[in-house]
Amino acid sequence: MKVYQRLAAAFKAEGVSHVFGLMGDGNMYWMHELDKLGVKLLEVRHEGAGLGMADGWARATHTPGVATATCGPGVTQLATAFVTAARAQSPLVAFCGEHPTSDDEYNQRLDQSRFAAGCEAGFVRLATADAADDAVRKAFYLAKLESRPIMLSAPMDVQQKEFDDDDPYKPSSTLLPPRAGMPDPAMLEKAAGIVAGSKKPVIVVGRGAKWSGAGEAVLKLAGRIGALVATSLMAKTWLAEDEYHVGVSGTYATRTAMQLFEEADCVIGVGASLNRYTTEHGYLYPNARYVHLDSKPHVMMSGGRSADCYLQTDAKAGVEALESLLAKRAFKQTGFRTGEVKERLANALDDRAEFKLEPGTADPRPVCLALDEMVPAEYALYTGSGASAGFSNILFSRRRPVVLASHFFGCIGQMMPAAMGAVMAAGNKPGLLVDGDASIMMHLAEFETMVRYDMPLLIVVMNNQMLGAEYYKLDVHKMNAGLAAIPTPDLGAVAVAMGGRGKLARSVEDVRTAVAEWVKKPGPMMIDLRISRSVVTLPYRRIHYGKDE
Amino acid sequence: MIEVNERIDVPGTPRAVWDLLADPRAVVECVQGAALGDAHDDGSFDASLTVKFGPAKVTFRARVALELDAAAMAGHVSSRGKDNQGGTRFRATMTFRVAPHEDAPGSTVAIEARVEIAGRLATVVEGGASLVVKRMTADFSKRLAARCAQPSAA
Repeated sequence: MKVYQRLAAAFKAEGVSHVFGLMGDGNMYWMHELDKLGVKLLEVRHEGAGLGMADGWARATHTPGVATATCGPGVTQLATAFVTAARAQSPLVAFCGEHPTSDDEYNQRLDQSRFAAGCEAGFVRLATADAADDAVRKAFYLAKLESRPIMLSAPMDVQQKEFDDDDPYKPSSTLLPPRAGMPDPAMLEKAAGIVAGSKKPVIVVGRGAKWSGAGEAVLKLAGRIGALVATSLMAKTWLAEDEYHVGVSGTYATRTAMQLFEEADCVIGVGASLNRYTTEHGYLYPNARYVHLDSKPHVMMSGGRSADCYLQTDAKAGVEALESLLAKRAFKQTGFRTGEVKERLANALDDRAEFKLEPGTADPRPVCLALDEMVPAEYALYTGSGASAGFSNILFSRRRPVVLASHFFGCIGQMMPAAMGAVMAAGNKPGLLVDGDASIMMHLAEFETMVRYDMPLLIVVMNNQMLGAEYYKLDVHKMNAGLAAIPTPDLGAVAVAMGGRGKLARSVEDVRTAVAEWVKKPGPMMIDLRISRSVVTLPYRRIHYGKDE
Repeated sequence: MIEVNERIDVPGTPRAVWDLLADPRAVVECVQGAALGDAHDDGSFDASLTVKFGPAKVTFRARVALELDAAAMAGHVSSRGKDNQGGTRFRATMTFRVAPHEDAPGSTVAIEARVEIAGRLATVVEGGASLVVKRMTADFSKRLAARCAQPSAA
């Protein structure tokens, strides 16, 4: 058996079913073997997009996604996607070829360990043929343990050597420690004391709470202590069925939510990092004490602060323990859960600011509400980055099995690949991606990949034909905002040319017609929605124009 | 750096307007969200100011020093402080000068101010901060004019 064959068998034994990437002579033999083993290979048009798909897979499933690239130039294409995945704490393994160990002047040579370090990715190198199992095992072990991307770099000549060991591969799961368990009893007592001393608590749930399956426990605790339920952006719309759910805590909070947060005297963070975005540097909760539950040994909150009480615990176990301790103390209060608050929340999504629309453009706000209503709740939602996120990250409110937002590296263009990977991870279940025109243009070639694999992803392009963030910033500074205006072709027509479905839309009605068609028969489709430049998102109105809205 | 250059027309004689601006308590009453704290031996005093950046409110605590030149009817205010979470610092200076209105009865107050905000809040408010300061200046002008129109200031 050749080393590349053993490497492929080891990936298969790690449970890998899909690999995203682009073939080259540094990875093609390994890919050929994977195909023989029944692993699905998704050939993409850009290695970075392939890694972005593996990132989406990891975010949706919390299990390692797998990407691949050939040596040298294939690897350098991975840069932005690697950093994004690292910031997203996505477990993934990127199998990369490496130039032959015997040829230092090979034209595709690259110091891949330094590249990985610069991209905030872990690095495992296959140094010898004998180490094939160890290298794969270590890569998956590190990806899962540290929840980060790992580059497995395999020199082309080492891959071609003989591998003589016939023993079965021992997967990384055999090395991993058990999950974090129960909280420390003394700290739990302290947390219960803080919560029982509060009158208006808010529970902020993040991805960690979702992954731990803490939903029911959170709602039970919220009912007992009279808490509002808010999410980090990463857990957007999770537990939205609760009538005291206020949406996202952070930059994408509604004005109503922000006003309620100001009244809060206690924040209970569950599986959420409570970072600078979630608490707006703490300014969202000027009067609160913090109780923080997370599986990590410690999480520093925004501004280098520590919670008043930190509990290292599995989210579900910790919330259940806190709730039962408060029940034992017969603690129960109405807190925020009053009729008055419910009334305030009923209209929280209303944004009455009026803007004069340019002819042939739509207001993106009613479009978001229409999309949320029309796209079935069992379908996933993916929201992009850039200015358009200021609409989608606030206005979508239905709970969905998967909701992924961008923003990990503050870059545009990364959500389309991530959405594609997440769609595959969900067994090719339909999903909706809402993103801006510059983002979609960046990886437009991957729409053809969507078509090739018949991915049922509906892309709605919030197209104002400009770099939105830059346009509004230049406008605020009274500079030439026109520099940020870049026209696009009719992306609906482009989608059709690539073999999918597409529409150019200029009104909510146009969008409704196109979406109804997609819902009837989901498949790869792109709606190019021309939106007005005059409609400014709520976060931008606050940040750039200083408005209290 | 946020810069403000304003000329405010107010009713009242220059002397009456000057008397008002030379009294920190009266000035603070013209600034929405401001409150005066303890006075110190060196003539400076503590003050607090709550500012709305979007829907979020931030309270700053500051030490304020006031230098007055009664003959020239001019003053210089300098203040520095930080917000109540400690993540944001600010430094502000303001000079003002009262003069008779050139074309009409009443007075004109020329104000030049510079405000620097540094730290965590700076990233949250970005360009909006200067608009907030400009709105606060406009509000101050309105309140000052209203105050000067009161009989005691005439």
